Amino acid sequence: MKAEYVNSFYQAAQDVFKIMLDVGTQKDDVFTHEITDDGANITIKLKGDLTGTIVFSFPKETALEMVKIMSGMEMDKLDSFILSALSEIVNIICGNAATHLQKYNKSVDITPPEVVEKPSTEADKCELLPLKTDIGAVKLNIQLEENQE
Amino acid sequence: MMWKEKYKIGVELIDQQHEELFRRVSDFIGTVRSENPWDTKLSKIKETLEFMNDYVITHFRDEEEYQAKINYPGLEKHKKIHDDFKAEVVEFVRLFEETGFDEDLVQRFSGKLLAWLINHVAGIDQKIGEFARKQEVPHHES
Ligand SMILES: [Fe+2]
Repeated sequence: MKAEYVNSFYQAAQDVFKIMLDVGTQKDDVFTHEITDDGANITIKLKGDLTGTIVFSFPKETALEMVKIMSGMEMDKLDSFILSALSEIVNIICGNAATHLQKYNKSVDITPPEVVEKPSTEADKCELLPLKTDIGAVKLNIQLEENQE
Repeated sequence: MMWKEKYKIGVELIDQQHEELFRRVSDFIGTVRSENPWDTKLSKIKETLEFMNDYVITHFRDEEEYQAKINYPGLEKHKKIHDDFKAEVVEFVRLFEETGFDEDLVQRFSGKLLAWLINHVAGIDQKIGEFARKQEVPHHES
């Protein structure tokens, strides 16, 4: 998979965490891995010039802290309120990533985010983009294929 | 939810409305998240939902009018974002009524609303302010 596709998601996540949460984000090296899950897992599918699945995995502590920052309220468990707020963040990140992808002449649509217990993608291996934010880790599992024209 | 100075776009009417919107959404979410049993807080939830909803409509209308006034090039796109969101709220309210304000549904709506509003005001609406500021700068070139 082209590095710029993965980077579009990195850029989008970094911007959104900064704007919405005032949280800085760095990335570790990307590597190919079996899909990982952790705490809250939220999936979005891409259709169009690129097809595939993106799974965001938020460890519980990161998830609670993100929603605490937004709401100003203490959060103690991964309930519907928190999962829905995180789903919207994922939706926003992927929407912005889709805008970045247009720079590489890739036009994609995203499906509404879905909370999943056990995440999966079409392929059993995907690119793992590990992010380190000021408030904990977030993992992006990215599996994308280019459609032949 | 915390209102921050940096959310201001430099247009007084819009900034005041955004701040008020944050207050009303906070009130609504505060009620939804309070520890009290669901049925005892239902009337308060309905009341704060309506109070917030009215304001969203007023604010979107005023913000769009302002964008039109300054010939903001992103108006159509922005209007679509507002319309899509209003449509989603209408659908949620329909489901609330259909399910007798199912708690899980209201919790999901509130979580989405929280993240949507912060991104909209802290991210998307900022571009209106950037454009307005550019229009004010007199250019010395020609
Ligand atoms: Fe707006």
